[in-house]
Amino acid sequence: MVKWRIVECRVGLARLLRRWRTDNRTQAAIARLEALENDNGAVEVVDLNDDGEASLDEDDDLGYVQKKQHKGSKRKTRQAKALEARKAHHKSFTELLQEANLESLPSHVPTYLKAAVGPPSSSSRRHFCTVCGYIAGYSCCLCGMRFCSIRCQNIHKDTRCQKFVA
Amino acid sequence: MSNNIVVLDNGGGLIKAGQGGERDPLVVIPNCLFKPLSSKKFIYPPPLSDLDVDIDLTSAAVRRPIDRGYLINPDLQRDIWSHLFSSLLRITPTSSSLLLTEPPLSIPSVQRATDELVFEDFGFSSLYLANPQSLVHLYEASRQPGSILSRTQCSLVVDCGFSFTHAVPVLHNFTLNYAVKRIDLGGKAFTNYLKELVSYRSINVMDQTFLMDDAKEKLCFVSLDLHRDLNLARERRTGNVLKSTYVLPDGVTHTKGYVKDPQSAKSFLTLGLSDGGANTVMDKVDVEKKKADMNKNEIDLTNERFLVPETLFQPADLGMNQAGIAECIVRAVSSCHSYLQPVLYQSIILTGGSTLFPQLKERLERELRPLVPDHFDVKITTQEDPILGVWRGGSLLASSPDFESMCVTKAEYEELGSARCRRRFFH
Repeated sequence: MVKWRIVECRVGLARLLRRWRTDNRTQAAIARLEALENDNGAVEVVDLNDDGEASLDEDDDLGYVQKKQHKGSKRKTRQAKALEARKAHHKSFTELLQEANLESLPSHVPTYLKAAVGPPSSSSRRHFCTVCGYIAGYSCCLCGMRFCSIRCQNIHKDTRCQKFVA
Repeated sequence: MSNNIVVLDNGGGLIKAGQGGERDPLVVIPNCLFKPLSSKKFIYPPPLSDLDVDIDLTSAAVRRPIDRGYLINPDLQRDIWSHLFSSLLRITPTSSSLLLTEPPLSIPSVQRATDELVFEDFGFSSLYLANPQSLVHLYEASRQPGSILSRTQCSLVVDCGFSFTHAVPVLHNFTLNYAVKRIDLGGKAFTNYLKELVSYRSINVMDQTFLMDDAKEKLCFVSLDLHRDLNLARERRTGNVLKSTYVLPDGVTHTKGYVKDPQSAKSFLTLGLSDGGANTVMDKVDVEKKKADMNKNEIDLTNERFLVPETLFQPADLGMNQAGIAECIVRAVSSCHSYLQPVLYQSIILTGGSTLFPQLKERLERELRPLVPDHFDVKITTQEDPILGVWRGGSLLASSPDFESMCVTKAEYEELGSARCRRRFFH
């Protein structure tokens, strides 16, 4: 009885691991496609203070006029905050698209969503080796990346395996 | 015409601006604000024709007002336009009309933001909105008066721009919106893909947008036979015809990157369509030059050169579930009336900066011919300058006598609002 339970547990664990691995792989694939639309390579540090905001500097210098300055700067920072919120929070295109609610229009109206060309007619795709770029025949059993030969597989194992998998 | 007409092709990558009626735009600048390492704030980029400006463009961060082709950041665009109008074009908006381009099938909030920007922030006296594809059609029709294109007033414009690629049938200068098909691949995606490939295989260039743009424009080409070219690119000896080296700038001797041996970079042209005719003979002298110079940072590009444009023909290579450009054309034409289809196949126009890859036209013909029924003729024409083609069409339209009556004036906009005015352009 105990052996049976151990086997069951192991099978359940294997299923869980497989699901986790494929979920991670699909997430990594989606993240890669999203990265193609980036303007900058790395994550941009949004510097909210680079629009010439003076209130922070003024607080440091004039210590004796602090009361008036404090009130003034409070008002300014609230206004400035509203300005910043308006400037910094620009909706991304996907948000605007969802807000536009294009599905509710009647079907004869052409929209951005209907203009998408749609999936290809043949679902077979070519895979390229991630190390050298040749046509890949094999994939890594741990992370799913493709490679073409043993030499590329060794390079992959040494440096790049599990790079995207957390 | 008392006031002058400003023709502004507002693209995702480059803005082309100038006076209506001229042959070429006065100024072509990148549509972004960028921050090179030498400055702390975002600054305006110099015009493309200003070649003697030597700014170090490595690791420059970039902010664009146009994302995925549509204007989502009007504040940033206002900033760039005000710099453009005041310092580069030197016009006063209140006494000019504007001819502006906008991609097809825009969403209402973006359209409203654009109208507000033009009328309320700058105060132009009148506005005409056009799809870039109808301007291209107009220009090509005027250049070839006797062809099928101009006699039937109908053509299929394939616009491979910065943000995406559209296949648009145009009839009598109106785009048939119900038949427009779009692939979400453009110059930006190609550059990012090239960055990813190079970073994975040699040096990390993920933040070098301008540098990789330059490398892509100088070195990438479309392969006519993928398997043969992949085999050729694999060779390790000096007989590798397709290998090319791009030297990265080091900030001291030169601030811009360059191709190490421009002559050998063109040797892919000798391959042609026939197999086995590859010219693999290299001079001994050339071998000396090709030794890697350890002082400079160099990247070797072999199969990346043609794998990057290959994604336009098969986006599934990237994992995108979208059809390639040949199927996109077929689907766009099939959505039109059957009487139009033979005419459309005979007048396909390639436009947009991303069509400047060498051998693209030949490869597209090869891909398209099996997909089109036999009794239809397939004829593809390229523009002489795909980047300026749209602007020139706009300039032509601006110089037509009844242009003023087609515009929407500021008074009409203020009275009727953005949505009613847009209906005039059949958008």
